Amino acid sequence: MDRLDELESQSMYIIREAYYHYHKLAMLWSVGKDSTTMLWLVRKAFLGKVPIPLLHIDTSYKFPEMYQFRDEYSKKWGMNLLIAKNEAALAAGMTCEKKLECCTALKTEGLKQAIAKHGFEALLLGIRRDEHGIRAKERYFSPRDEQFQWNYQDQPPELWDQYKNQAEEKTHIRVHPLLHWTEKDIWYYIKRENIPITDLYFAKNGKRYRSIGCTTCCNPIESNASNVDEVIAELESTVTSERAGRAQDKEDAYTMQKLRALGYM
Amino acid sequence: MMKAANNLKFMVLSIDGVPFGLIRRFMDEGVMANMARLAGQTGLRQMRSIHPTVSSVAWASYMTGMNPGKHGIYGFIDRQPGTYDMSLPNGRMMVVETIWEVLSRAGKRVFGMNVPTSYPPRRVNGILIGGFLTPTVDRAAYPPTESDYLRSIDYRIDSDAQLARRDKRAMLDDLDVTLAKRMEAMFHYLDKESWDFFHTHIMGTDRINHFLFEKMEQDDAEFAPGFRDYYRKIDAAVGKLLERIPQETPLLIFSDHGFCPIKQEVQLSRYLIEKGWTAPAAQIQHPLSIDPGQSRAYCMIPGRIFINLSGREPGGIVPVDAYQQVREQIADDLMQLRDPDNGDLVIRKVIMREEVYWPSGSQGPLRAAPEEIARMDGTFGRAADLIAIPYDGYDLKLGLAGKALFQKTELEGMHTYDDAFMVARGVELPENNLEIFMLTRVILEKLGVTPPADMDGAGNAITPDF
Repeated sequence: MDRLDELESQSMYIIREAYYHYHKLAMLWSVGKDSTTMLWLVRKAFLGKVPIPLLHIDTSYKFPEMYQFRDEYSKKWGMNLLIAKNEAALAAGMTCEKKLECCTALKTEGLKQAIAKHGFEALLLGIRRDEHGIRAKERYFSPRDEQFQWNYQDQPPELWDQYKNQAEEKTHIRVHPLLHWTEKDIWYYIKRENIPITDLYFAKNGKRYRSIGCTTCCNPIESNASNVDEVIAELESTVTSERAGRAQDKEDAYTMQKLRALGYM
Repeated sequence: MMKAANNLKFMVLSIDGVPFGLIRRFMDEGVMANMARLAGQTGLRQMRSIHPTVSSVAWASYMTGMNPGKHGIYGFIDRQPGTYDMSLPNGRMMVVETIWEVLSRAGKRVFGMNVPTSYPPRRVNGILIGGFLTPTVDRAAYPPTESDYLRSIDYRIDSDAQLARRDKRAMLDDLDVTLAKRMEAMFHYLDKESWDFFHTHIMGTDRINHFLFEKMEQDDAEFAPGFRDYYRKIDAAVGKLLERIPQETPLLIFSDHGFCPIKQEVQLSRYLIEKGWTAPAAQIQHPLSIDPGQSRAYCMIPGRIFINLSGREPGGIVPVDAYQQVREQIADDLMQLRDPDNGDLVIRKVIMREEVYWPSGSQGPLRAAPEEIARMDGTFGRAADLIAIPYDGYDLKLGLAGKALFQKTELEGMHTYDDAFMVARGVELPENNLEIFMLTRVILEKLGVTPPADMDGAGNAITPDF
């Protein structure tokens, strides 16, 4: 088996394992390249007939291209698409000016509301260990408590493909079928399988998005990679991190406070 | 010879913002007896920092061995290219390799702790722990598992500067704890890790200098003793470190810039508004809230002035062929600025971006027409068009909303360019002008590792005197 086959079969094993254990299972679909790759794997795992709903947490600040892609492909692939929006927070005027609060209200709270509404026991998420430091400690099956807290110092070992997939009540389990993939793996797999993704990832006028989310908190990188092959070539030589255009915002509130205290602002 | 070089280890201890003059004085007074003994064998040298003289820029220049025109870090605050939005640069925006990465590629084991601008920690063959502006201990370290140890000793990334503004006694206690934790971690890793290159940074000196430099100079009865005590504790740690490493291990102990007491904080943005160069936006939300249609220039901290250039800035109004003329007019205005208390001039010199920065592919200042300089892109193109260098004591600040041009606050000390200190044992440094970005090349060569081709510090890549 080549590397991509191994990655694929490990992921499909986890997806099927999750479906076997959880009666109420859904998959989160942000419409980014990772969760779209995961959706591809889910379709393959169930031979095209996907038995679980897709949950999209809509902050209302996503790129227009993402909404278009979401609607086009959920229809084309015959998915049961659920859209969750924290309407109360949006009505109260939550915008990206308050970076930290915004993510909490529109993403975390939006997800909490959806879990409560639909009673999901477990969710498939397309996170990967190589995205940033803290995710390196994640497990394939990772419980969250009712406050959504993740205790990374209290995690079961996952040896020989044996997973602890039961947890106490009032929790939900996050399942991470792509945990072992890297950013480059995703792109090589997209190439091999010819997976459709939004063209925000490809360069226009010398810029492309390496990671996408809300328009307000994503910055494009300088790039001339206008197709999958060129993206792969670029990643083979880059030294900067994938989320360089994103994680910044969440740290800014902290940074500004420190700089202000020292008179830099 | 390469073989011998390959077995060498290299130790760096950096102490932020300690001026040459102050450390010499503390050596003489016996406050820093271990440093005095070491410098007695090796000599004590003065070193230059970087323009603008800010820790994030100085340390980015150190860790990349390049001038800011190549690494792209110009301050704690910057603008997002192509916008009037603010951005807060960190290690992610540094587009080149760091010393830890270059050494890792060469198979060396590295360790780095608390060096500013090293967050987020990059992947290395060894351990990196972020410093100032690292948000949490959990995210401080590469590999991430090291945060378990750091948490177990209640490690402190940085002291609390907000505390310093409220209560200077409490600040001293906080600085002590932070230093003690740093040294505990340093000795832990020194014993536990196998390393070829080991760099620990102490940040607290910059903090104590910012908030108590004047009190120390005036021999304040309440705070001068505490100031000395803090330096004494650092000296004790130096003594302990010297006992733990072999005499033949190459060693650098140095600071990234000097310090002097603040006479006045100068709101340079206010001056640009008064002189008609900058028009603030109706609603001021952040340091770049300007009205682009009415602003020919604007500034960022400290003393970095940008021309609102047509074709480069989104609402630029200064045509490219007027670039040089506008730069010269602004420089003239800046050179007229005087302290209202005594009539002293505030700005010593205004330098053009191309006089101190040079881009990737070049070694030393550029020779090019101003119109070409104005339009250059990449990391060099993010530089300020003008950099105002103040006389010692005039701390150039920024506040579009502030009405006072001159003011005094709780801050007592400001950075200086040409009086960082250097103590080098078993390391051959350039003889004449020593600048912080020259150190990387020396360290790599000592360890038998070839510096990347674009690295500065060879021969003529020297910042001119001003």
